[in-house]
Amino acid sequence: MSAGVTSSEELRIDWKIQEDPDRMAAFQAHIDAKGLVEADDWMPHNYRVGMLRMAEHHANSEIVGALPEGEWITRAPSLRRKLALVAKVQDEVGHGQMLYRTSQDLGKSRDQMLRDLVTGKTRYHNVFNYPAPTWADVAMIQWLVDGAAILNQKSLAEGSYGPYVRTMKRINMEEAFHFKSGEDMVLTLMSGTKRQRQMAQEAFDRWWGPCLMFFGPPDRESTKTGPFMTWRIKTATNDTLREAYVDRFAPAARALGLNIHLARKNPDGLIAVKADGTPDKIEDPLIRLDESTGHWGFTQPDWDEFYRVIGGDGPCNKQRVALRRFSYEQGRWVRQAVMGCAGLPPSRN
Amino acid sequence: MQELSDKLKAPLTDLLLSIADDKLMLGHGASDWTGLAPILEEDIAFSAISQEEIAHAAALYEVVGTMHGRSADAVAFGREPSAYRCAELTSLGDDFDWSRAIVRQLFCDHFDLLRFERLARSLLKSVAALSKRIGAEEATHVEHADVWLIRLGRGGDESKTRAQAALNALSGAAAMLFEPTDGVDVLEREGIYPAGEGSLFDRWQEDVGRVVAEAGLTLEVVPSPADAVGGRRGRHGESFTGLLDEMCEVYRVEPEAAW
Ligand SMILES: [Fe+2]
Ligand SMILES: [Fe+2]
Repeated sequence: MSAGVTSSEELRIDWKIQEDPDRMAAFQAHIDAKGLVEADDWMPHNYRVGMLRMAEHHANSEIVGALPEGEWITRAPSLRRKLALVAKVQDEVGHGQMLYRTSQDLGKSRDQMLRDLVTGKTRYHNVFNYPAPTWADVAMIQWLVDGAAILNQKSLAEGSYGPYVRTMKRINMEEAFHFKSGEDMVLTLMSGTKRQRQMAQEAFDRWWGPCLMFFGPPDRESTKTGPFMTWRIKTATNDTLREAYVDRFAPAARALGLNIHLARKNPDGLIAVKADGTPDKIEDPLIRLDESTGHWGFTQPDWDEFYRVIGGDGPCNKQRVALRRFSYEQGRWVRQAVMGCAGLPPSRN
Repeated sequence: MQELSDKLKAPLTDLLLSIADDKLMLGHGASDWTGLAPILEEDIAFSAISQEEIAHAAALYEVVGTMHGRSADAVAFGREPSAYRCAELTSLGDDFDWSRAIVRQLFCDHFDLLRFERLARSLLKSVAALSKRIGAEEATHVEHADVWLIRLGRGGDESKTRAQAALNALSGAAAMLFEPTDGVDVLEREGIYPAGEGSLFDRWQEDVGRVVAEAGLTLEVVPSPADAVGGRRGRHGESFTGLLDEMCEVYRVEPEAAW
């Protein structure tokens, strides 16, 4: 390995590192003045690593997130939906590509990132560990999950790292488009036959909980905040985003005729069935607008489930990683043929 | 569309369906790679091609649908297997072997380009205009497939071996691309599908052969006997029916419903 290449061993958060105090002060002042940090600027080691971790995790999420919907491309029920779905999944892959480039510039090679992903060393967004067993799940993913992603990414677009911020802005324009098409799909199902409405409700029941978890654990349990908020790597807390999400989607779901349920799930991520054969769910009793605060109430999702799934024991963790790994391995000889190595081209030539 | 005599309607339907069905199946197969292709940049490029194939199919289903008073979706998803006119090659799986995906695309793209060149000279103005537009996009698919085959052929031993194996594996099915649809001779005579210089098969062999040679590979395609009946006349194998069932799985839940 040549000098100047950062090995992944060095890419760790280390709060014991003593940075130059003058540089640190200037850096913080620049950020406080809403300045952007560029790839070639000086930055504290932990800023670089924190930013890389976030961008890499985000990139991983885009290409893993392409999988649950990708499964439905071959079964899309009309020409228009089929075209739109290929285009949508293609966009997600494009987001992954842009974000891997951003990450590469922070010091980790793309091949290393892909290898870490397929060997389980790094993670991707937890929401993609849930199954999409019907076409209605595709609609819910585009509406509810992309809706959550937009909220989160809008806050990230207020961050301090220039390349990431610009990528977020570009991605958000495309996400807005996915969200619209998701909304249209849900609306179509809800104005369709009884069977279609039921499909939509069942898919909604599967995705509501994971979407509440989308923004991460409650602030009191979240370890990530601290310096990353001061450096504006993160700009909003998990609970703030979750509240904004419920305020947006609880009334929207009800307006479409969907009920918000507390549902018990099987290990396979499907709604459990009671002895009498009906789904094990009740309406969330806390869902209502609190006139005094202007916010919607809701029951917290099952945080034990969250930690279990994020720890690797979710309905689809193995399947998602295995498919990415399959793709990585199937493609190895092609990358070797066109680039002379299993790796990938550097982002800046 | 200009008035069509009944004598021409059925052959034209068959011809347009043979192209549209090929493209739907091919685009469908290519879309299977979306999210899983060997390189992210290529994932995006190949998805774009798959979208164009499906969009071309949709435009042709629209034309057929108008002729028969049906929606494009009903034509695309609502027929009996024996009413499809695609060649077997377009529905052959690739087992996520990139060389197979590329060779399948190479064979079909070159063939489509030739068909659209002819249709672009059709006396049916609307078909000619549509074919010009589609043909221009088709030319970019041909370029994409050519570049890839050459890369693979020259990309070292493993890659070359795989590319050659894919050519060998698909060459048999390639011959049946040329199976004529019923009544195509009438369409040729009436200037709806004007024949060009040399047979389609000869021109295709020349075009594809040039690329194969440049890639340092070999290809031998033996023409099918004139009386061989295949997909163009509705005789399909299991690869097709399996694919069709998968494609129509959701559509058939409520064929009348909007999705
Ligand atoms: Fe995305
Ligand atoms: Fe999206």
